[in-house]
Amino acid sequence: MIPEQWQRVRDLFEAALDREPTDVATWLTTQTSDTRVRAEVLSLLEHHSRAGSFMVEPVAERMPDLLAEEEPLTPGTTVGPYTIIRELGRGGMGRVYLASDSRLGRTVALKALAPHLTRDPSHRERLRREARAAAALTHPGICTVYALEEVGDDLFIATEFVDGHTLREEIASGRRPSVEEIVETARELAAALATAHAKGITHRDLKPENVMRTSDGHVKILDFGLARIDAPAASAPPTRALATLPGVLLGTPAYMAPEQLNGQPVDARTDVFSFGVLIYEYSCGVHPFGSTTELALLALLARVLESDARPLEERCPQLPAPIAEVVARCLRKVPAERYASAGEIIDVINRSAVARAPHHSMVWWRTHQLAVICVYVIATTLAWYIKEAFVGPVSLWLFIALGIGAALGGIIRGHLLFTEQINRPRLVAEWQRTARPNIVVDLLMAAALFSDGLLMAPSRPLWALLTMALALGIALASVLMEPATTAAAFGGKR
Amino acid sequence: MDQSPPEGPGAAQDLAPRVYAELRRLAGAYMRRERPGQTLQATALVHEVYLRLAGAGTPWQDERHFVGIAARSMRQILVERARARGAQKRWAGLDRVSLTESLVQATAEDAMLPALDEALERLERLDPQQAKIIELRYFVGLSVDQAADALGISPATLKRRWNLARAWLFRELNEGAR
Repeated sequence: MIPEQWQRVRDLFEAALDREPTDVATWLTTQTSDTRVRAEVLSLLEHHSRAGSFMVEPVAERMPDLLAEEEPLTPGTTVGPYTIIRELGRGGMGRVYLASDSRLGRTVALKALAPHLTRDPSHRERLRREARAAAALTHPGICTVYALEEVGDDLFIATEFVDGHTLREEIASGRRPSVEEIVETARELAAALATAHAKGITHRDLKPENVMRTSDGHVKILDFGLARIDAPAASAPPTRALATLPGVLLGTPAYMAPEQLNGQPVDARTDVFSFGVLIYEYSCGVHPFGSTTELALLALLARVLESDARPLEERCPQLPAPIAEVVARCLRKVPAERYASAGEIIDVINRSAVARAPHHSMVWWRTHQLAVICVYVIATTLAWYIKEAFVGPVSLWLFIALGIGAALGGIIRGHLLFTEQINRPRLVAEWQRTARPNIVVDLLMAAALFSDGLLMAPSRPLWALLTMALALGIALASVLMEPATTAAAFGGKR
Repeated sequence: MDQSPPEGPGAAQDLAPRVYAELRRLAGAYMRRERPGQTLQATALVHEVYLRLAGAGTPWQDERHFVGIAARSMRQILVERARARGAQKRWAGLDRVSLTESLVQATAEDAMLPALDEALERLERLDPQQAKIIELRYFVGLSVDQAADALGISPATLKRRWNLARAWLFRELNEGAR
């Protein structure tokens, strides 16, 4: 369209809006013979009539947060005693950075609280109070709050930096945890919650995103007592919040208890409900009330409020009954019907048969380890007698080799047995680490014992046969039986 | 028409980045100073930037010249932030029906901004004044009278041309982009 044509379009469009002719098309033919101009004016008039609220209000008024958004802090920036290393993420409360604390030389996670949380003095005071309470919590299962820093008008919360992955990532990976892992995770989480509940602090936003699995296999809860700081403060009705802030609030309500969704007072039993949802989802990979995708969220919330979750034992039949019962009781709609606090949950888990009597296949694994240690002792003792009967350098060196092998193998297997008793979550990793040295030691011992048998063969064939059979037994146990008992105990090929 | 030639070769070129930087800075600081319940007004922000830069002895011909630069900066800032929030991805994810719906009901406005920015560039090539009107009214939030004053045209004319620009952009976003 050439400029003259556009000028004509503009004039005719404006004239049409002013005069509002009854039949625009006919009126246009009296104004111009240029069909292209006529078509353009008609098209624009038509779109004008359909445009509704399009661009009627200035964009900054409709989305004030777009304009007033905080600029991220760049690496190297200093905030009080902290130097920003990099941004870790962005949440409802504001941005979180990895930073180093120059005073103590440690690395911290630094949360820069969004300005809309800190500008109201009463809300600011509440933040201070909650941060102070949260800082009083020290437990290996809780991410420690170090400090609340006020730098000018800005508020920062410095916490322990937890390296690892979230339970959300673990659930999303599709790998289902073993029964031992479920019991251990539930026990550790409940222990951390119980410590906080005993001090009168509730989490109020327990969800897989807020639970980290550290590199040594334990779990740690993030944002204790801080997570819902952003919630109430003169908030708009939830439907509006859901509609205007997709991704910010969505996802979170899926772990809230009915009383929390209804805006009623919350207490430790609210966390107990969220704990139930979390363990349910961790155990079987499915949310107890359905999908957590954005579209299905409203339906899901309706189910949280009204219908019962499908029993966990139906979805996850291999789970021991006591755990399924604990989860079911956590998920009761009425707070009074749930456990009063996480402390009660630990009692139940500890009392239940699951915790004390080990899982069936675990017994076999332990028996195997103990049996192999006994065989080591027998083999070494045998080598001692052979050395006494057939004096010479060969029998002496074979005895020494078997003695060293027995010591090494015994130490490795003893270590695994202790790990299993004391630090169960770490067991799989330890087993993987030691599997190869274990087989090498076993095969070398078998070879030494076999040689002892050969030494005896000419003079004492019966003893030689028994010794060589024992040697073959050790080799077969190591190569064939151990992988089988381990697979049974740990599940799959992990 | 509103933009008379700059005084010296460097004057206008230096000015735009300063206005832009000051707007960004003030917008970030704004939320903290505001009382709860008050909304951030782009007009107030532009006015404050004007006072600050005028106080610092910045050379420009008149307030109109400044407002033109500020409106452009405001458009840049808002579009950038919408982009940073992944607007394009959400915009591309809208199907035909929900796209028209969100335009008419003015929902998902931040998702629309990058597409609007591109459409505005096309409108600007056709008719620079049209694009200016959108910047003043939609991005800065000036009233009809204020915007008319900034462009040196009558309020009635501004209103008619605003309608034309809106209709043109609505059509462009509704159909043109795909």
